[in-house]
Amino acid sequence: MYGGGNIFEATKFDDLQTEDPAKLAEFEARIARGEKIEPTDWMPELYRKQLIRMIEQHAHSEIIGALPEGTWITRAPGFRRKMAQMAKVQDEVGHAQLLYSAAETLGKSREQMLTDLINGKSKYSNVFNYPAFTWADSNIISWLIDAGAIVNQMANAKGSYGPYSRALERICAEEAFHLKYGHDAVVHMATGSPKQREMIQAALNRWWPPIMTFFGPSDKMSTHTETLMRWKVKMASNDECRQQFLDMYVPKIWELGLTVPDPNLKKNQETGQWEFTEPDWDEFKRVINGDGPCNAERLAVRRTAEERGAWVRRALLNPKAKYVRPLA
Amino acid sequence: MLKSLDPRVTRLNLPDGEVPPMEEKPELDQFETYEAFHQKKDGAAHTYVGPVHAPNEDVAFLFAKEQYSRRFPCVGLWIARTENIQVTPYGNDGENVYDMLRIEETAEQIEQPEPYEIFHLKKRGKAHTHAGRVMATSYLNALQEAKQAFGEKSPIVNVWVVKSKDVLQSAEDDKDMWTTVPEKKYREAIAYKVMDKITKYKEERKNTPAQ
Ligand SMILES: [Fe+2]
Ligand SMILES: [Fe+2]
Ligand SMILES: [Fe+2]
Repeated sequence: MYGGGNIFEATKFDDLQTEDPAKLAEFEARIARGEKIEPTDWMPELYRKQLIRMIEQHAHSEIIGALPEGTWITRAPGFRRKMAQMAKVQDEVGHAQLLYSAAETLGKSREQMLTDLINGKSKYSNVFNYPAFTWADSNIISWLIDAGAIVNQMANAKGSYGPYSRALERICAEEAFHLKYGHDAVVHMATGSPKQREMIQAALNRWWPPIMTFFGPSDKMSTHTETLMRWKVKMASNDECRQQFLDMYVPKIWELGLTVPDPNLKKNQETGQWEFTEPDWDEFKRVINGDGPCNAERLAVRRTAEERGAWVRRALLNPKAKYVRPLA
Repeated sequence: MLKSLDPRVTRLNLPDGEVPPMEEKPELDQFETYEAFHQKKDGAAHTYVGPVHAPNEDVAFLFAKEQYSRRFPCVGLWIARTENIQVTPYGNDGENVYDMLRIEETAEQIEQPEPYEIFHLKKRGKAHTHAGRVMATSYLNALQEAKQAFGEKSPIVNVWVVKSKDVLQSAEDDKDMWTTVPEKKYREAIAYKVMDKITKYKEERKNTPAQ
Protein backbone atom coordinates (compact mmCIF):
# COMPACT_ATOMS: atom_id res chain seq x y z
CA MET A 1 0.00 0.00 0.00
CA TYR A 2 1.15 3.43 -0.70
CA GLY A 3 0.03 6.99 -1.07
CA GLY A 4 1.92 9.22 -3.45
CA GLY A 5 5.45 9.59 -2.20
CA ASN A 6 5.50 13.24 -3.11
CA ILE A 7 2.58 14.50 -1.11
CA PHE A 8 4.66 15.88 1.69
CA GLU A 9 6.69 19.03 1.49
CA ALA A 10 9.56 18.37 -0.85
CA THR A 11 13.20 18.13 0.04
CA LYS A 12 14.80 21.55 -0.14
CA PHE A 13 15.73 22.10 -3.72
CA ASP A 14 19.43 21.54 -3.69
CA ASP A 15 21.21 23.73 -6.10
CA LEU A 16 22.32 21.50 -8.93
CA GLN A 17 25.10 24.03 -9.52
CA THR A 18 27.00 22.39 -6.69
CA GLU A 19 27.07 19.08 -8.54
CA ASP A 20 29.97 18.11 -10.78
CA PRO A 21 28.72 19.06 -14.27
CA ALA A 22 30.48 16.21 -16.09
CA LYS A 23 29.13 13.59 -13.71
CA LEU A 24 25.68 15.14 -13.77
CA ALA A 25 25.67 15.06 -17.57
CA GLU A 26 26.72 11.42 -17.58
CA PHE A 27 24.03 10.56 -15.04
CA GLU A 28 21.33 12.35 -17.02
CA ALA A 29 22.47 10.75 -20.27
CA ARG A 30 22.21 7.31 -18.68
CA ILE A 31 18.62 7.96 -17.65
CA ALA A 32 17.80 9.45 -21.04
CA ARG A 33 19.10 6.25 -22.67
CA GLY A 34 16.62 4.33 -20.53
CA GLU A 35 19.30 2.69 -18.37
CA LYS A 36 18.76 2.08 -14.67
CA ILE A 37 20.86 3.65 -11.96
CA GLU A 38 22.49 1.15 -9.61
CA PRO A 39 23.54 1.81 -5.98
CA THR A 40 27.26 2.45 -6.54
CA ASP A 41 26.72 4.87 -9.44
CA TRP A 42 27.37 8.53 -8.93
CA MET A 43 24.08 10.36 -8.36
CA PRO A 44 23.08 13.94 -7.49
CA GLU A 45 22.26 14.55 -3.82
CA LEU A 46 18.74 15.60 -4.74
CA TYR A 47 18.14 12.28 -6.50
CA ARG A 48 19.42 10.32 -3.51
CA LYS A 49 17.46 12.31 -0.94
CA GLN A 50 14.20 12.30 -2.85
CA LEU A 51 14.39 8.56 -3.50
CA ILE A 52 15.21 7.75 0.12
CA ARG A 53 12.24 9.79 1.22
CA MET A 54 9.89 8.22 -1.35
CA ILE A 55 10.95 4.62 -0.83
CA GLU A 56 11.06 5.02 2.93
CA GLN A 57 7.53 6.47 3.03
CA HIS A 58 6.39 3.68 0.77
CA ALA A 59 7.90 1.12 3.17
CA HIS A 60 6.27 2.75 6.19
CA SER A 61 2.92 2.73 4.38
CA GLU A 62 3.19 -1.01 3.80
CA ILE A 63 3.99 -1.83 7.40
CA ILE A 64 1.44 0.57 8.93
CA GLY A 65 -1.10 -0.39 6.25
CA ALA A 66 -0.88 -3.96 7.50
CA LEU A 67 -2.41 -2.86 10.82
CA PRO A 68 -6.04 -2.00 9.91
CA GLU A 69 -6.37 -5.21 7.89
CA GLY A 70 -4.34 -7.29 10.33
CA THR A 71 -6.81 -6.40 13.01
CA TRP A 72 -9.51 -8.28 11.07
CA ILE A 73 -7.68 -11.59 10.64
CA THR A 74 -9.11 -13.18 13.78
CA ARG A 75 -12.59 -11.88 13.01
CA ALA A 76 -12.67 -12.59 9.27
CA PRO A 77 -15.79 -14.64 8.52
CA GLY A 78 -14.69 -18.20 7.85
CA PHE A 79 -11.46 -20.13 7.70
CA ARG A 80 -10.68 -19.46 4.05
CA ARG A 81 -11.04 -15.73 4.49
CA LYS A 82 -8.80 -15.83 7.56
CA MET A 83 -6.14 -17.63 5.53
CA ALA A 84 -6.43 -15.21 2.63
CA GLN A 85 -6.46 -12.11 4.85
CA MET A 86 -3.41 -13.43 6.66
CA ALA A 87 -1.61 -14.08 3.38
CA LYS A 88 -2.38 -10.55 2.22
CA VAL A 89 -1.20 -8.95 5.44
CA GLN A 90 1.98 -11.04 5.32
CA ASP A 91 2.55 -9.83 1.76
CA GLU A 92 2.25 -6.21 2.90
CA VAL A 93 4.82 -6.69 5.65
CA GLY A 94 7.05 -8.40 3.09
CA HIS A 95 6.64 -5.35 0.84
CA ALA A 96 7.89 -3.17 3.68
CA GLN A 97 10.99 -5.35 4.03
CA LEU A 98 11.73 -5.16 0.30
CA LEU A 99 11.33 -1.41 0.28
CA TYR A 100 13.37 -0.76 3.42
CA SER A 101 16.19 -2.68 1.76
CA ALA A 102 15.88 -0.67 -1.45
CA ALA A 103 16.06 2.58 0.55
CA GLU A 104 19.00 1.21 2.50
CA THR A 105 21.07 0.82 -0.68
CA LEU A 106 20.94 4.63 -0.88
CA GLY A 107 22.56 5.01 2.52
CA LYS A 108 19.88 5.32 5.21
CA SER A 109 19.96 2.52 7.77
CA ARG A 110 16.87 0.51 8.62
CA GLU A 111 17.41 1.42 12.29
CA GLN A 112 17.16 5.11 11.39
CA MET A 113 14.07 4.62 9.21
CA LEU A 114 12.24 2.73 11.95
CA THR A 115 13.20 5.33 14.54
CA ASP A 116 12.00 8.13 12.25
CA LEU A 117 8.69 6.37 11.64
CA ILE A 118 7.99 5.84 15.32
CA ASN A 119 9.01 9.35 16.31
CA GLY A 120 6.82 10.87 13.61
CA LYS A 121 9.76 12.26 11.64
CA SER A 122 8.83 10.42 8.47
CA LYS A 123 5.33 9.88 7.20
CA TYR A 124 3.26 7.07 5.81
CA SER A 125 0.13 7.07 3.69
CA ASN A 126 -2.43 9.19 5.50
CA VAL A 127 -5.36 6.86 4.81
CA PHE A 128 -4.09 4.47 7.48
CA ASN A 129 -4.77 7.04 10.14
CA TYR A 130 -8.44 6.15 9.73
CA PRO A 131 -10.03 3.16 11.47
CA ALA A 132 -11.47 -0.02 9.95
CA PHE A 133 -14.74 -0.17 11.90
CA THR A 134 -16.13 -3.32 10.34
CA TRP A 135 -15.14 -6.26 8.16
CA ALA A 136 -16.57 -4.25 5.27
CA ASP A 137 -14.04 -1.46 5.93
CA SER A 138 -11.30 -4.03 5.68
CA ASN A 139 -12.73 -5.17 2.33
CA ILE A 140 -12.80 -1.61 0.99
CA ILE A 141 -9.15 -1.20 2.01
CA SER A 142 -8.19 -4.49 0.36
CA TRP A 143 -9.85 -3.47 -2.85
CA LEU A 144 -9.67 0.28 -3.32
CA ILE A 145 -6.65 1.30 -1.27
CA ASP A 146 -4.68 -1.46 -2.90
CA ALA A 147 -6.04 -0.39 -6.27
CA GLY A 148 -4.72 3.12 -5.63
CA ALA A 149 -1.41 1.68 -4.49
CA ILE A 150 -1.15 -0.36 -7.67
CA VAL A 151 -1.68 2.70 -9.87
CA ASN A 152 1.27 4.27 -8.06
CA GLN A 153 3.46 1.22 -7.98
CA MET A 154 3.01 0.37 -11.65
CA ALA A 155 4.12 3.88 -12.54
CA ASN A 156 7.08 3.86 -10.15
CA ALA A 157 8.26 0.42 -11.32
CA LYS A 158 9.29 2.15 -14.55
CA GLY A 159 11.42 4.62 -12.60
CA SER A 160 15.17 4.92 -12.95
CA TYR A 161 16.48 3.43 -9.70
CA GLY A 162 17.34 -0.27 -10.12
CA PRO A 163 16.73 -1.57 -6.58
CA TYR A 164 13.36 0.22 -6.30
CA SER A 165 12.23 -1.13 -9.68
CA ARG A 166 13.25 -4.66 -8.76
CA ALA A 167 11.37 -4.45 -5.46
CA LEU A 168 8.29 -3.03 -7.19
CA GLU A 169 8.25 -5.80 -9.75
CA ARG A 170 7.94 -8.39 -7.00
CA ILE A 171 5.39 -6.24 -5.19
CA CYS A 172 3.19 -5.73 -8.25
CA ALA A 173 3.08 -9.47 -8.86
CA GLU A 174 1.64 -9.99 -5.36
CA GLU A 175 -0.72 -7.05 -5.63
CA ALA A 176 -2.61 -8.84 -8.38
CA PHE A 177 -3.89 -11.20 -5.70
CA HIS A 178 -4.72 -8.35 -3.29
CA LEU A 179 -6.79 -6.58 -5.89
CA LYS A 180 -8.78 -9.67 -6.87
CA TYR A 181 -9.19 -10.72 -3.26
CA GLY A 182 -10.44 -7.28 -2.29
CA HIS A 183 -12.75 -6.99 -5.27
CA ASP A 184 -14.18 -10.44 -4.58
CA ALA A 185 -14.81 -9.56 -0.93
CA VAL A 186 -16.62 -6.34 -1.87
CA VAL A 187 -18.67 -8.08 -4.57
CA HIS A 188 -19.64 -10.77 -2.07
CA MET A 189 -21.02 -8.13 0.31
CA ALA A 190 -22.61 -6.00 -2.39
CA THR A 191 -24.46 -8.94 -3.91
CA GLY A 192 -25.42 -10.42 -0.55
CA SER A 193 -28.22 -9.71 1.92
CA PRO A 194 -29.62 -6.19 2.37
CA LYS A 195 -27.65 -5.97 5.62
CA GLN A 196 -24.41 -6.86 3.84
CA ARG A 197 -25.10 -4.30 1.13
CA GLU A 198 -25.78 -1.69 3.75
CA MET A 199 -22.50 -2.51 5.49
CA ILE A 200 -20.39 -2.27 2.37
CA GLN A 201 -22.07 0.97 1.30
CA ALA A 202 -21.43 2.46 4.75
CA ALA A 203 -17.78 1.44 4.60
CA LEU A 204 -17.43 2.91 1.12
CA ASN A 205 -18.98 6.15 2.36
CA ARG A 206 -16.47 6.30 5.21
CA TRP A 207 -13.47 5.54 3.01
CA TRP A 208 -14.27 7.65 -0.03
CA PRO A 209 -12.96 10.97 1.35
CA PRO A 210 -9.59 9.49 2.43
CA ILE A 211 -9.36 7.63 -0.90
CA MET A 212 -9.76 10.89 -2.79
CA THR A 213 -6.75 12.28 -0.93
CA PHE A 214 -4.70 9.13 -1.45
CA PHE A 215 -2.66 10.50 -4.34
CA GLY A 216 -2.05 13.84 -2.65
CA PRO A 217 -2.99 17.37 -3.74
CA SER A 218 -2.35 18.60 -7.28
CA ASP A 219 1.36 18.99 -7.86
CA LYS A 220 2.75 22.44 -7.99
CA MET A 221 4.65 22.37 -11.23
CA SER A 222 8.07 23.68 -10.34
CA THR A 223 11.56 23.22 -11.74
CA HIS A 224 12.00 20.83 -8.86
CA THR A 225 9.14 18.61 -10.08
CA GLU A 226 10.39 18.84 -13.66
CA THR A 227 13.84 17.73 -12.59
CA LEU A 228 12.44 14.74 -10.69
CA MET A 229 10.35 13.77 -13.68
CA ARG A 230 13.33 14.04 -16.02
CA TRP A 231 15.29 11.80 -13.65
CA LYS A 232 12.42 9.30 -13.59
CA VAL A 233 11.93 9.61 -9.85
CA LYS A 234 8.42 10.98 -10.15
CA MET A 235 6.69 9.04 -12.90
CA ALA A 236 3.23 10.57 -12.99
CA SER A 237 1.55 13.59 -11.46
CA ASN A 238 -0.78 13.12 -8.50
CA ASP A 239 -3.71 14.25 -10.65
CA GLU A 240 -2.87 11.79 -13.41
CA CYS A 241 -2.83 8.97 -10.87
CA ARG A 242 -6.14 10.08 -9.37
CA GLN A 243 -7.78 10.31 -12.80
CA GLN A 244 -6.51 6.88 -13.75
CA PHE A 245 -7.83 5.43 -10.51
CA LEU A 246 -11.27 6.97 -11.02
CA ASP A 247 -11.35 5.78 -14.61
CA MET A 248 -10.65 2.22 -13.61
CA TYR A 249 -12.68 1.87 -10.42
CA VAL A 250 -15.70 4.17 -10.39
CA PRO A 251 -17.42 2.09 -13.11
CA LYS A 252 -16.64 -1.05 -11.11
CA ILE A 253 -18.27 0.48 -8.02
CA TRP A 254 -21.31 1.62 -9.97
CA GLU A 255 -21.89 -1.72 -11.66
CA LEU A 256 -22.50 -3.21 -8.22
CA GLY A 257 -25.30 -0.74 -7.66
CA LEU A 258 -23.25 1.01 -4.99
CA THR A 259 -23.08 4.78 -4.87
CA VAL A 260 -20.13 7.08 -4.41
CA PRO A 261 -20.80 9.69 -1.74
CA ASP A 262 -19.97 12.66 -3.93
CA PRO A 263 -22.87 14.24 -5.85
CA ASN A 264 -20.40 16.09 -8.07
CA LEU A 265 -18.55 13.02 -9.24
CA LYS A 266 -18.91 12.60 -12.99
CA LYS A 267 -16.81 12.16 -16.04
CA ASN A 268 -16.77 15.19 -18.27
CA GLN A 269 -17.29 13.67 -21.70
CA GLU A 270 -15.66 16.58 -23.48
CA THR A 271 -12.44 16.76 -21.49
CA GLY A 272 -12.39 13.07 -20.61
CA GLN A 273 -11.55 14.14 -17.05
CA TRP A 274 -13.37 13.21 -13.88
CA GLU A 275 -14.91 16.06 -11.95
CA PHE A 276 -15.42 15.79 -8.22
CA THR A 277 -15.79 17.76 -5.03
CA GLU A 278 -12.38 19.02 -3.97
CA PRO A 279 -11.20 16.88 -1.07
CA ASP A 280 -10.82 18.53 2.32
CA TRP A 281 -7.10 19.30 2.22
CA ASP A 282 -7.23 21.06 5.57
CA GLU A 283 -8.35 17.88 7.23
CA PHE A 284 -5.70 16.01 5.26
CA LYS A 285 -3.00 18.31 6.59
CA ARG A 286 -4.33 18.15 10.11
CA VAL A 287 -4.44 14.34 10.08
CA ILE A 288 -1.08 13.84 8.44
CA ASN A 289 0.47 16.09 11.04
CA GLY A 290 -0.70 13.82 13.81
CA ASP A 291 -4.26 14.76 14.63
CA GLY A 292 -6.17 11.87 13.07
CA PRO A 293 -8.34 9.21 14.68
CA CYS A 294 -5.65 6.49 14.61
CA ASN A 295 -2.24 8.18 14.36
CA ALA A 296 -1.36 7.61 18.00
CA GLU A 297 -2.56 4.01 17.98
CA ARG A 298 -0.70 3.09 14.79
CA LEU A 299 2.61 4.42 16.06
CA ALA A 300 2.09 3.04 19.57
CA VAL A 301 1.47 -0.45 18.20
CA ARG A 302 4.55 -0.26 16.00
CA ARG A 303 6.64 1.10 18.82
CA THR A 304 5.52 -1.62 21.20
CA ALA A 305 6.50 -4.30 18.72
CA GLU A 306 9.93 -2.72 18.34
CA GLU A 307 10.47 -2.23 22.07
CA ARG A 308 9.21 -5.59 23.21
CA GLY A 309 11.28 -7.40 20.60
CA ALA A 310 14.49 -5.50 21.37
CA TRP A 311 15.84 -7.95 23.94
CA VAL A 312 15.40 -10.87 21.55
CA ARG A 313 17.34 -9.06 18.86
CA ARG A 314 20.05 -8.13 21.35
CA ALA A 315 20.32 -11.73 22.53
CA LEU A 316 20.66 -12.98 18.95
CA LEU A 317 23.21 -10.40 17.87
CA ASN A 318 26.54 -11.85 16.87
CA PRO A 319 29.24 -9.70 18.54
CA LYS A 320 31.34 -9.97 15.38
CA ALA A 321 28.56 -8.72 13.14
CA LYS A 322 29.54 -5.87 10.87
CA TYR A 323 27.07 -3.78 8.92
CA VAL A 324 27.49 -3.41 5.17
CA ARG A 325 24.85 -1.92 2.89
CA PRO A 326 22.85 -4.47 0.93
CA LEU A 327 24.17 -4.79 -2.61
CA ALA A 328 21.21 -4.17 -4.89
CA MET B 1 -4.69 3.93 28.47
CA LEU B 2 -5.05 3.74 24.73
CA LYS B 3 -8.46 2.43 23.76
CA SER B 4 -8.74 0.77 20.36
CA LEU B 5 -11.50 -0.73 18.24
CA ASP B 6 -9.36 -3.84 18.40
CA PRO B 7 -9.60 -5.38 21.87
CA ARG B 8 -6.19 -6.95 21.48
CA VAL B 9 -4.65 -3.51 21.06
CA THR B 10 -6.55 -2.19 24.08
CA ARG B 11 -5.21 -5.09 26.13
CA LEU B 12 -1.63 -3.97 25.40
CA ASN B 13 -2.25 -1.21 27.99
CA LEU B 14 -0.41 1.38 25.96
CA PRO B 15 -0.15 4.94 27.29
CA ASP B 16 -2.49 7.48 25.71
CA GLY B 17 -1.53 11.05 24.82
CA GLU B 18 1.92 12.55 24.54
CA VAL B 19 4.76 10.08 24.86
CA PRO B 20 8.49 10.83 24.95
CA PRO B 21 10.23 10.01 21.69
CA MET B 22 11.70 6.55 21.30
CA GLU B 23 15.43 6.37 21.83
CA GLU B 24 17.50 6.02 18.67
CA LYS B 25 17.92 2.39 17.82
CA PRO B 26 21.42 1.13 18.53
CA GLU B 27 23.66 0.13 15.65
CA LEU B 28 22.99 -3.40 14.38
CA ASP B 29 19.60 -3.51 16.12
CA GLN B 30 18.43 -4.80 12.73
CA PHE B 31 21.47 -7.06 12.32
CA GLU B 32 23.73 -7.37 9.33
CA THR B 33 22.52 -8.23 5.84
CA TYR B 34 22.64 -11.32 3.67
CA GLU B 35 21.93 -11.65 -0.04
CA ALA B 36 19.56 -14.33 -1.30
CA PHE B 37 19.48 -16.22 -4.62
CA HIS B 38 16.69 -18.54 -5.65
CA GLN B 39 16.39 -21.33 -8.16
CA LYS B 40 13.07 -21.33 -9.95
CA LYS B 41 13.20 -24.86 -11.31
CA ASP B 42 15.59 -27.79 -11.53
CA GLY B 43 18.58 -27.00 -13.68
CA ALA B 44 17.93 -23.24 -13.76
CA ALA B 45 20.68 -20.89 -12.61
CA HIS B 46 20.32 -19.31 -9.18
CA THR B 47 19.12 -15.74 -9.50
CA TYR B 48 19.42 -12.83 -7.09
CA VAL B 49 16.19 -11.99 -5.30
CA GLY B 50 17.27 -9.47 -2.67
CA PRO B 51 18.70 -8.92 0.79
CA VAL B 52 17.50 -9.93 4.26
CA HIS B 53 18.53 -8.73 7.70
CA ALA B 54 19.42 -11.55 10.06
CA PRO B 55 21.61 -12.43 13.04
CA ASN B 56 23.22 -15.42 11.32
CA GLU B 57 23.22 -17.50 8.17
CA ASP B 58 20.58 -19.99 9.31
CA VAL B 59 18.10 -17.32 10.30
CA ALA B 60 18.89 -15.50 7.07
CA PHE B 61 17.95 -18.65 5.21
CA LEU B 62 14.60 -18.86 7.03
CA PHE B 63 13.83 -15.18 6.46
CA ALA B 64 14.78 -15.42 2.79
CA LYS B 65 12.68 -18.50 2.32
CA GLU B 66 9.71 -16.65 3.78
CA GLN B 67 10.39 -13.38 2.00
CA TYR B 68 11.39 -14.57 -1.45
CA SER B 69 10.10 -18.10 -1.99
CA ARG B 70 6.77 -18.03 -0.19
CA ARG B 71 4.71 -17.06 -3.22
CA PHE B 72 6.55 -18.37 -6.28
CA PRO B 73 7.85 -21.73 -7.46
CA CYS B 74 11.26 -22.45 -5.96
CA VAL B 75 13.48 -25.51 -5.70
CA GLY B 76 16.64 -24.06 -4.22
CA LEU B 77 17.92 -21.15 -2.17
CA TRP B 78 21.43 -19.77 -1.58
CA ILE B 79 22.43 -17.27 1.10
CA ALA B 80 25.64 -15.24 1.34
CA ARG B 81 26.67 -12.59 3.85
CA THR B 82 26.75 -9.27 2.02
CA GLU B 83 30.19 -8.58 3.42
CA ASN B 84 31.60 -11.69 1.76
CA ILE B 85 30.57 -10.71 -1.75
CA GLN B 86 33.01 -8.68 -3.81
CA VAL B 87 31.56 -6.44 -6.47
CA THR B 88 33.08 -5.02 -9.64
CA PRO B 89 32.22 -1.52 -10.84
CA TYR B 90 29.11 -1.26 -13.02
CA GLY B 91 29.47 -0.86 -16.76
CA ASN B 92 27.00 0.75 -19.13
CA ASP B 93 24.28 -1.40 -20.64
CA GLY B 94 25.67 -3.30 -23.59
CA GLU B 95 29.23 -3.28 -22.26
CA ASN B 96 31.24 -6.16 -20.93
CA VAL B 97 32.69 -5.18 -17.59
CA TYR B 98 35.45 -7.81 -17.84
CA ASP B 99 36.90 -5.84 -20.75
CA MET B 100 37.07 -2.68 -18.67
CA LEU B 101 38.70 -4.22 -15.64
CA ARG B 102 42.42 -4.15 -15.27
CA ILE B 103 42.89 -7.48 -13.61
CA GLU B 104 46.56 -7.63 -12.78
CA GLU B 105 48.36 -10.93 -12.70
CA THR B 106 48.96 -11.97 -9.16
CA ALA B 107 52.66 -12.51 -8.68
CA GLU B 108 52.88 -15.92 -7.11
CA GLN B 109 50.20 -18.40 -6.37
CA ILE B 110 51.19 -19.74 -3.03
CA GLU B 111 47.77 -20.55 -1.78
CA GLN B 112 45.69 -23.58 -2.57
CA PRO B 113 42.91 -22.81 -5.04
CA GLU B 114 39.40 -23.00 -3.65
CA PRO B 115 35.98 -22.70 -5.33
CA TYR B 116 34.31 -19.33 -5.92
CA GLU B 117 30.81 -18.61 -7.23
CA ILE B 118 30.43 -16.03 -9.99
CA PHE B 119 27.28 -14.00 -10.64
CA HIS B 120 26.65 -11.83 -13.71
CA LEU B 121 24.30 -8.93 -14.25
CA LYS B 122 23.41 -8.74 -17.93
CA LYS B 123 21.49 -5.49 -17.88
CA ARG B 124 21.06 -2.75 -15.30
CA GLY B 125 17.83 -3.11 -13.33
CA LYS B 126 17.73 -6.87 -13.86
CA ALA B 127 18.94 -9.49 -11.36
CA HIS B 128 22.39 -11.06 -10.98
CA THR B 129 22.43 -14.67 -12.18
CA HIS B 130 24.81 -17.48 -11.32
CA ALA B 131 27.31 -17.90 -14.17
CA GLY B 132 29.24 -20.75 -12.62
CA ARG B 133 32.02 -21.81 -10.31
CA VAL B 134 35.76 -21.31 -10.69
CA MET B 135 38.77 -22.52 -8.74
CA ALA B 136 40.97 -19.63 -7.63
CA THR B 137 43.42 -18.47 -4.99
CA SER B 138 41.84 -15.04 -4.37
CA TYR B 139 38.86 -12.91 -5.33
CA LEU B 140 40.93 -11.22 -8.01
CA ASN B 141 42.17 -14.51 -9.31
CA ALA B 142 38.58 -15.74 -9.35
CA LEU B 143 37.67 -12.80 -11.53
CA GLN B 144 40.48 -13.68 -13.94
CA GLU B 145 39.35 -17.28 -14.08
CA ALA B 146 35.74 -16.18 -14.55
CA LYS B 147 36.72 -13.90 -17.41
CA GLN B 148 38.24 -16.88 -19.20
CA ALA B 149 35.50 -19.31 -18.30
CA PHE B 150 32.40 -17.19 -18.90
CA GLY B 151 33.54 -13.67 -19.74
CA GLU B 152 33.09 -13.85 -23.48
CA LYS B 153 29.35 -13.82 -23.52
CA SER B 154 28.82 -10.09 -23.48
CA PRO B 155 27.18 -7.93 -22.36
CA ILE B 156 27.88 -8.21 -18.64
CA VAL B 157 27.50 -4.98 -16.71
CA ASN B 158 28.46 -6.21 -13.23
CA VAL B 159 30.06 -9.23 -11.56
CA TRP B 160 29.74 -10.56 -8.01
CA VAL B 161 32.34 -12.94 -6.62
CA VAL B 162 31.93 -14.99 -3.45
CA LYS B 163 33.76 -17.97 -1.99
CA SER B 164 31.68 -21.12 -2.27
CA LYS B 165 32.32 -21.89 1.38
CA ASP B 166 30.61 -18.58 2.25
CA VAL B 167 27.42 -19.57 0.47
CA LEU B 168 24.80 -21.51 2.41
CA GLN B 169 23.11 -23.70 -0.17
CA SER B 170 19.93 -25.65 0.31
CA ALA B 171 20.40 -29.35 -0.34
CA GLU B 172 18.56 -31.60 -2.77
CA ASP B 173 16.78 -33.17 0.24
CA ASP B 174 15.48 -29.78 1.33
CA LYS B 175 13.38 -29.31 -1.80
CA ASP B 176 10.24 -30.63 -0.16
CA MET B 177 10.05 -27.45 1.94
CA TRP B 178 8.53 -25.78 -1.13
CA THR B 179 6.08 -28.48 -2.13
CA THR B 180 3.03 -26.89 -0.48
CA VAL B 181 3.45 -23.57 -2.29
CA PRO B 182 1.13 -24.43 -5.22
CA GLU B 183 -1.59 -25.73 -2.88
CA LYS B 184 -2.26 -22.33 -1.35
CA LYS B 185 -4.66 -21.21 -4.05
CA TYR B 186 -6.37 -18.65 -1.83
CA ARG B 187 -3.41 -16.30 -2.37
CA GLU B 188 -3.59 -16.44 -6.16
CA ALA B 189 -5.60 -13.90 -8.13
CA ILE B 190 -6.93 -16.69 -10.31
CA ALA B 191 -8.75 -18.28 -7.36
CA TYR B 192 -11.21 -15.38 -7.28
CA LYS B 193 -13.94 -15.70 -9.89
CA VAL B 194 -15.19 -12.17 -9.47
CA MET B 195 -16.58 -11.72 -12.97
CA ASP B 196 -18.84 -14.75 -12.60
CA LYS B 197 -20.37 -13.28 -9.46
CA ILE B 198 -20.88 -9.89 -11.06
CA THR B 199 -22.48 -11.37 -14.18
CA LYS B 200 -24.82 -13.47 -12.05
CA TYR B 201 -25.75 -10.44 -9.99
CA LYS B 202 -26.49 -8.35 -13.08
CA GLU B 203 -28.61 -11.15 -14.55
CA GLU B 204 -30.66 -11.41 -11.38
CA ARG B 205 -31.13 -7.70 -11.20
CA LYS B 206 -32.36 -7.57 -14.78
CA ASN B 207 -35.01 -10.16 -13.95
CA THR B 208 -36.32 -8.49 -10.82
CA PRO B 209 -38.15 -5.18 -11.17
CA ALA B 210 -36.34 -2.24 -9.56
CA GLN B 211 -36.93 -2.02 -5.84
FE1 LIG C 1 -1.85 -2.60 0.30
FE1 LIG D 1 1.66 -3.70 -0.61
FE1 LIG E 1 -1.39 -4.85 -1.32
